[in-house]
Amino acid sequence: MTSIALLLSPVWLSWKNSFFRGRSSWTRRLLLGFFALLFWLGTYIVIRRVLRYFETVYDLGPALAYQLLLIILLTFLSMLLFSNLVASLSTFFLAADLDLVHGTPVSHGSFFYARLINTTINSSWMVLFFSLPIFAAYGSVFGGGVTLYFLVAVILPLFLVIPAAIGILITHLLVYCLPARRIRDILFFIGLIAFVVMYFLFRFSQPERLVQPESFGSFINFLGAMETPSSPFLPSSWSAEILAGTLFSRDTAQGFFFALLSSYALFLPVAASWVSGAVYLEGWSKAQESRQGRRKHDWPDRILNVLTRPFSPILRALMVKDVKTFLRDTTQWSQLFLLVALIVVYLYNFKVLPLDRSPMPAGVIRTIVSFANLALAGFVLSAVAIRFAFPAVSLEGKAFWILQSSPMSLGALLWSKFWLNFVPLLLLGELLVFLSNLLLQVPAWMMILSLVTMGLMTFGIAAIGVGLGALYPNFNFENAAEIPTSFGGAVCMIFSVAFIALAVMIEAWPIYALTMRTLYRGTVTTPELSLIVPSLLIVLALTIVAVALSLRLGLKNLESMKEL
Amino acid sequence: MIQLINLTKHYGNLAAVDDLNIEVPAGQIFGFLGPNGAGKTTTIRTMMGILKPTSGQVLLGQHDMLREPEKAKAICGFIPDRPFIYEKLSGHEFLEFVGKLHRVETTRLKDRIAEMLQLLELTSWKDELVESYSHGMKQRLVVCAALVHQPRILIIDEPMVGMDPKGARTLKDLFRALAANGTTIFLSTHSIAVAEEICHRIGIIQKGRLIACGTMAEIHRQASPADGSLESVFLELTRDQERDNDHP
Repeated sequence: MTSIALLLSPVWLSWKNSFFRGRSSWTRRLLLGFFALLFWLGTYIVIRRVLRYFETVYDLGPALAYQLLLIILLTFLSMLLFSNLVASLSTFFLAADLDLVHGTPVSHGSFFYARLINTTINSSWMVLFFSLPIFAAYGSVFGGGVTLYFLVAVILPLFLVIPAAIGILITHLLVYCLPARRIRDILFFIGLIAFVVMYFLFRFSQPERLVQPESFGSFINFLGAMETPSSPFLPSSWSAEILAGTLFSRDTAQGFFFALLSSYALFLPVAASWVSGAVYLEGWSKAQESRQGRRKHDWPDRILNVLTRPFSPILRALMVKDVKTFLRDTTQWSQLFLLVALIVVYLYNFKVLPLDRSPMPAGVIRTIVSFANLALAGFVLSAVAIRFAFPAVSLEGKAFWILQSSPMSLGALLWSKFWLNFVPLLLLGELLVFLSNLLLQVPAWMMILSLVTMGLMTFGIAAIGVGLGALYPNFNFENAAEIPTSFGGAVCMIFSVAFIALAVMIEAWPIYALTMRTLYRGTVTTPELSLIVPSLLIVLALTIVAVALSLRLGLKNLESMKEL
Repeated sequence: MIQLINLTKHYGNLAAVDDLNIEVPAGQIFGFLGPNGAGKTTTIRTMMGILKPTSGQVLLGQHDMLREPEKAKAICGFIPDRPFIYEKLSGHEFLEFVGKLHRVETTRLKDRIAEMLQLLELTSWKDELVESYSHGMKQRLVVCAALVHQPRILIIDEPMVGMDPKGARTLKDLFRALAANGTTIFLSTHSIAVAEEICHRIGIIQKGRLIACGTMAEIHRQASPADGSLESVFLELTRDQERDNDHP
């Protein structure tokens, strides 16, 4: 136990030293704390409103809230599983301090449990941060009092440990079993598994059942189905069952589900430690051997040369270097698998949305969903930007001195990072909006408006990502995947989400007005469409402010940096 | 004290270390020389249990590194070629962490840290974060960390890289004093001058194979250098080996 605490001490001490002896000022910290609190409160208020609305649905309120809880926990579970896979590969096989630790007489058991705790904390703290206002909102709407908070405090650690242990177990087996002379092969499989797992987890939740009461034969059957988890073998369902007992005063076997959850939370780490004890040295040794050269193809260079031709030689050199290092850094490009999974699941949900069963006219509901989709696609895009645009400056790493000592302005550096991220983000955003609007069969004006708004939002999202990445750079990272999970990453997410929320809110009223006209008159005339112009102009102004402010803040910080 | 028995390490088809047999008795400084990519670092990483050998054995003070890794590591100090230090820890915190990993008793650890910091002239920097240290200071801190538990065996990979002449001199004196007190030192280096100056015996490795091993006089006898320097011997031996490999 003491050795586990000792092995974790550098993490804790580093955090403490960064906090008390770090360079950032207290004013800045307080400001950021304030924004975090604001975001936390926002989440709380939104979830509370949704739950209050559910409550007004006669007899169905608790069942709907329960289904929402299931979906939220299932989403957390899938996110945790993926982030644990990536984090455990880093903490167990790639971390820079492994040579140091393995050179000392530490038992494998202590090493394993210390890294398990480290992996769990690294990959779960963000989920923990976002989940607390959600549970608080449930507590305030449905009651549960102290018992609820006690249950949350007991359940959450158990719920977080399970995907961590599974992630570590899978990573160990992959590193051991594959002819893993190249880590990227392993990451390929991790990405693939994450994709398959996420896909099935999402499909297990069957969200479309919420709006298909007729498929259950009778209302009682429907209510019964709404009150049971769709996938009873998942820890998220067990946790939801335990909480439901207290939240909705339902007669659930809380004790049984708690026993189930805790026994898995205790057994899986032990099982993973056995497996680790048997295969770790072999796997770790293989991971060392994977650092080899690569075969040379010149066709990617030729494509890159063509694509970057419009830019100045300096920007071009930077972009070519960035694309090459991205493609050669497995911890970076392997995240693209997650992106593909995200897009497929995202679009699939639109495909199965039973809009024709809605009591409202199809045209109106399609426009409303399409509008909500704009915000959702924005959130997806900002999640992607956190992964790719935010680390852009930090990825220069210890080689940043080359840029600092070269005859180029740091502004040019930021702009090159901006354009490099903007183009793929724009393609992704427009593709998401275009395809989902196509599936929704929205009117032409809504399609054009969505595409234009998404284009504007992408400018803002890319700039916030790159700018705040420069404001909070981490040049001493151990692996690239840890950069977005830093404090700066959270701040970036908050700003990005706030920007999207503002942009969407500005367009809400004119879209509402136009939708109402469609509802009453069946169509909108061209002059009526001019209603949208002022709000589009305001969104444009907001985007300009977001781009200018983010990049300027980032640039100012880079210029004021005296040492790395 | 150190025994490498038929030690072999393959990376795919490449034999990075090929059937290595070395024995270093207690209190001796063994210099491990070889050109770039000869297999020095792989040998050292295998000795420290960081890499698993393809075959063969590493015995450190009679403890087999594969079978009893904790016991073998407990009597070893390791200075890697590219050492990692937690940047956000102070020098003192880092030494305390490493000392505790080696289970040094708290009061003794305190004295030992003070002693090592004094010896390597880092006392005034002990409470500063490692991120503010110069390259040479970081090197010296790593040496402190390797010696904080008073190891019986010291395994060193390229110790003088980036050291100023004064720092290099301090280290050489330290290694000699440690050996005189019974510590066994396995020192991999590019620097022929360092090897010549402080090593009792020398092994030359090329393409994973030990091509020469012995005292300075024995090594000289194996080659016929133009002048009497170890540098000429080294170049002669490694050139012979290249020729043999090119024309078998």
